[in-house]
Amino acid sequence: MARPTTRSVLSLQGATLGERQLSTAPTRVDLELPRGTAALIQVDDDVDAASLVDLCMGIVPPADGTVRFLGVDWQARTPRERLTRRRRIGTVVQTHVWPSHLTVLESVLVARFYHFDRPRDEVIADATALARLFGLPGLPAGRRESTPRRALVRAACVRGFIGAPDLILVQDQTLEGTVDLAVPMAQAIADARDRGATVLWIVESLAAEAVRFVQAEQVFRLGDQGLVRVRRR
Amino acid sequence: MITIRQSSLDRGWIRRALGALGALTRGGTTNLLLFVSLAATVMIVAGRRSTWRRPVWTEFKRVLGNVAVSSLSTMIATGALVGFALVTQAVYWLEATGQTGLVGQVIVILLIREIVPILVGLIIFGRNGTATLIELGEAHTGGWLRQFEIQGLDPLALLVVPRALAFALGAFCMATVLLLSTLLTGYLLAHGLGLVAYSIWDFSDLVLRATTTRDFIVPPLKCITIGFMVALACCATGLGRRDESDELQRIVPRGFVRSALAILLINGAFDVVA
Repeated sequence: MARPTTRSVLSLQGATLGERQLSTAPTRVDLELPRGTAALIQVDDDVDAASLVDLCMGIVPPADGTVRFLGVDWQARTPRERLTRRRRIGTVVQTHVWPSHLTVLESVLVARFYHFDRPRDEVIADATALARLFGLPGLPAGRRESTPRRALVRAACVRGFIGAPDLILVQDQTLEGTVDLAVPMAQAIADARDRGATVLWIVESLAAEAVRFVQAEQVFRLGDQGLVRVRRR
Repeated sequence: MITIRQSSLDRGWIRRALGALGALTRGGTTNLLLFVSLAATVMIVAGRRSTWRRPVWTEFKRVLGNVAVSSLSTMIATGALVGFALVTQAVYWLEATGQTGLVGQVIVILLIREIVPILVGLIIFGRNGTATLIELGEAHTGGWLRQFEIQGLDPLALLVVPRALAFALGAFCMATVLLLSTLLTGYLLAHGLGLVAYSIWDFSDLVLRATTTRDFIVPPLKCITIGFMVALACCATGLGRRDESDELQRIVPRGFVRSALAILLINGAFDVVA
């Protein structure tokens, strides 16, 4: 496993989630994710989970406090710089969301081709290897309408894990309910951590089958008072 | 007392009418300024070398293929119909008045300077603008604009710039095809009906003699600008749809009104300036 460094990959210090669905008071979130580690956070509400993702990704500024990615405050960067910095983050979110004008293959690879200059064949080879890990024969080349739901979920996993991101953020309810993805996800997370990536999985329930095999150093539940450390059974 | 009430009622009505007029003017001006700033931003971003990454090129080629290549048969068919209507009518009436020598000038003024740019704008909206409206209309509501942001993809560079430039270049290609097919069909019909006796080379010579250097610069520029603005109107309208309550069916007529306005305004502006 890669040696952990002192600098956190993702750091939330007093970051306040503005409006929450199941809480009237604003919630302060403190979180440090060192390199090569994994964390699970249980967030009961889907909208709150999406808000936490937006906060971590620098899409929405915190009402108070700071969110730093690789030591840099998201808010200290211009919108264009923030977009560029997100090339170092892999995300498995909204597995049902696919642009209508692109094929699934193009959607999976678009960010790789946009941010990096690697040859097409190499990127496709990496994506195909990942697709096989997630139980697909290869990447689906059709459009979203003609691709089975099962394949779309797996293609979304490929989209999140492809390349060598510093942070991988996972948040999707459908994924949690897909039992046969538990082992491939645990395997992909372990491989990513071996490369030095940090993984944050925001789940609706820590008892979900899909997260069963994930070895996480930190496990939390998002409560009214912020993140509460919990023990997994 | 009644007189006072009546006068205050009148004043209230005038105030409301003025308020509504002011709100309309301010709203229109704001939208116009936003549109102009979007156009300027797109031109600046398109001019940056860093914008033209692989997916942007791919998207540009895809849209240009749809605009210029896929609509080739539509343009030829439209050109044939316009050629039938315009050239035969022009030749017929000019012959009836004994002014066949003016045929080139009439064609240049009517067809090249006015009809082709407007027709190209309307066809490009109908064939490609509506598709853009529907594609981008579900960007917010379908969630994939957020997906783009999460992946660090710039929507302006990846969605708007390639469409705007492909529409602009495609409009020029479409105008050339439309013009040629119109002239050819018109001549063949007029010749077939016995309305003109001269050869196709003489006909070409008549048209070319009637054109000035300005006609090789202004109408193409007009078509390019119209294509660019139709793309911007469609992209802005599509991306402006933020929630499901704004039905997808409603953004197509909205996009049409904006595109048609843009086409007519640009056409008028070019006529006045150039």
